[in-house]
Amino acid sequence: MLRTGPRRQQDPEPAAEALRLVKVTKTYGSADSAVTALDGVTLGLGHGTFTAVMGPSGSGKSTLLQCAAGLDRPDSGIVRVDGTELTGGGEAELTKFRRGRIGFVFQQYNLLETLTVAQNTVLPLKLAGRRVERRRVREVLTSLGLGDRLGHRPGQLSGGQRQRVAIARALVAEPRVIFADEPTGALDSRSARDVLGLLRQSVRVHGRTVVMVTHDPVAASYADTVLFLADGRLAGRLDAPTADAVAERLAHLGDDLPAGV
Amino acid sequence: MRSIRQRPGRFLATLLSAFLGAGIIMTFNSLHDTAGQPGVDPVSSETLSTAAGVVGGYGTLLVFFAIASTLTVNVRQRAAEMELLRCSGATPAQIKRMVVGEAVAVALVGAALAVGPAMLGGRALLAMFHDSGQVARSVEYSFGTVACLTGFGITLLAATGAAFLAVRRATAGGRRRRGRARTVWAYAALVAGAVAVSSTFAFSATDAALMAPPAQGAILLSVGCALRAPRLLSAVLDRLPLGGASGWLAVRNLRERAGQLAGILMSLIMFTAVATATLTMQAVESDAVAASGAVKSVDAKNLETLNVTVVGIIVVFVCVMLVNSLYAATSYREREFGQQRLAGATPGQVLGTVWAEGLVLTVTGVCFGTLAALAGIVPFTLVRTDRVLPGQMLPVWLAVVAVAAAVTLGTALATARRVLRTPAVRAVAPAA
Ligand SMILES: Nc1ncnc2c1ncn2[C@@H]1O[C@H](COP(=O)(O)OP(=O)(O)OP(=O)(O)O)[C@@H](O)[C@H]1O
Ligand SMILES: [Mg+2]
Repeated sequence: MLRTGPRRQQDPEPAAEALRLVKVTKTYGSADSAVTALDGVTLGLGHGTFTAVMGPSGSGKSTLLQCAAGLDRPDSGIVRVDGTELTGGGEAELTKFRRGRIGFVFQQYNLLETLTVAQNTVLPLKLAGRRVERRRVREVLTSLGLGDRLGHRPGQLSGGQRQRVAIARALVAEPRVIFADEPTGALDSRSARDVLGLLRQSVRVHGRTVVMVTHDPVAASYADTVLFLADGRLAGRLDAPTADAVAERLAHLGDDLPAGV
Repeated sequence: MRSIRQRPGRFLATLLSAFLGAGIIMTFNSLHDTAGQPGVDPVSSETLSTAAGVVGGYGTLLVFFAIASTLTVNVRQRAAEMELLRCSGATPAQIKRMVVGEAVAVALVGAALAVGPAMLGGRALLAMFHDSGQVARSVEYSFGTVACLTGFGITLLAATGAAFLAVRRATAGGRRRRGRARTVWAYAALVAGAVAVSSTFAFSATDAALMAPPAQGAILLSVGCALRAPRLLSAVLDRLPLGGASGWLAVRNLRERAGQLAGILMSLIMFTAVATATLTMQAVESDAVAASGAVKSVDAKNLETLNVTVVGIIVVFVCVMLVNSLYAATSYREREFGQQRLAGATPGQVLGTVWAEGLVLTVTGVCFGTLAALAGIVPFTLVRTDRVLPGQMLPVWLAVVAVAAAVTLGTALATARRVLRTPAVRAVAPAA
């Protein structure tokens, strides 16, 4: 499919990459109980790409995503989103940075229980003080199959529906980069397919950049590229992945791990 | 680690309310024990029994609802935990046993801890009676069965009852029936309050127990109002202009959680009503006594000090309960705040939402608390003096409103600030 979003064409094509990490390091805990979750990760992702991040449990995938999205602060290294460097300011500053550029989809949805589907979707816009185009919100939700659920609360929805609301919430703010941490982790294979299709569509149709953590080789096969992470370090990459190739690679990822460390 | 950090805090709120509540009840009711000792002269006995009866009476009522509301706030917060338990195979009966069992244990510990302080408090009260000359110096302090039975009994009853109702509400689905039962209770409390208030007219102006019915009436009316919290809140929300994203979020939160806020609203309405009513009535009473010149000035002064102290203890108690329930309710919102922050709210916007919510709660609580207070004050003033509204009410009311607003907003904001120190991603992580 072509990148034919009318909205996109008004924007000047940015020269910089959508995401760049340079020697990003993150350590949890202190002294003898310290865990190095990220150990000098350097990577760059172009605009309009769909990347999956895979690796064993505890390899630092969530930490990577959170550092890249400005939800957490790396100990050292540089994070640049859409050409702008994440500053070392306070939470308020980081939040304002994220609002226009970054969408995040969580495994646990993180929708607000007191708000309806429609209200949850427009919450980021409200918080950013941006104008809410009701028609567009309805359009997005309808395209995600939630047109008849606008007034429902998250508690009245299935897991797949909640995740679609979370994706709608990320899409409506029109971010440059969407991060998704195991977005299909709690879904059956059909809902998972729907969600993955949506993410891929936002890349193909709207030219957004998607970075997704997953444990599922089938989910990873929706991406253009798979990055493998082991012990907080990048441990390879696979372009145009198929589910089988990913599974094969994952199985061998364990072999390469230096023993003990 | 999260659960370890949260657990003591959660039980601490209930423990504190049980401890303070039982302490107050036992302090006043030990005066019954003291009065009931053999060899106490009739005048002293009469004075002590009246004091214990009047203050002990509405104090007990107050404590009952204060403990109940704290516990309700606490159990409701654990809905998620109970859901988890149910999913891992616990039957509703098992969950009920666990929650009620915990409530009983905490209530017992709280009451047991309160015995010592209550003895000291009772002794101090008796000393004041000695000083004011109302009780003979020969009367010795005694802490006995009445104090123990009422202290432990009321605390346990309130804790068990509230836990039982709250856990049933949390584990059962039936939404509509719950709403109807609540309405019935609300009207029952309102009618009982009206009856209590009206019965003031059956007393004579100089009756020692004149303050009891209006005080009890004000408390019952407060409870009735609080049970109507959803309606009251939306009535106030319709009339308050709240702008910005924070205001938008606050209005939606309040509408959706109106039922859960009943506990906090009860503390707030009760504080406004009880503090305004008792302090005003005490001021009216003191002035009336001074005007009649019935008592010699030194004794009158002592008596006044005594009465103000007694009322003060009650008012401080309600205030502490208000802080307690607000703290418990706000600190539990860590996850919700985290979700707001992840959706793009700055810490300032989260605090703005908390502020707006606190404002709405304060306005609602003060409005209905004032109504409940007036319902108690007017009959009292009519009987005691010939006026309808005492001039003493305005300064008292202003002070009470100032304290209510400061305490509500201060506690909510300070607690929220503390909660916001946890990074957002960690705040929303499911508790291990
Ligand atoms: N808040 C924290 N405090 C201490 N250690 C942490 C914290 N968060 C993560 N870690 C540690 O950092 C390492 C990487 O964690 P991370 O959550 O990024 O792993 P992951 O690859 O996302 O794993 P999973 O696939 O299980 O989600 C782990 O060893 C983990 O124990
Ligand atoms: Mg993870």
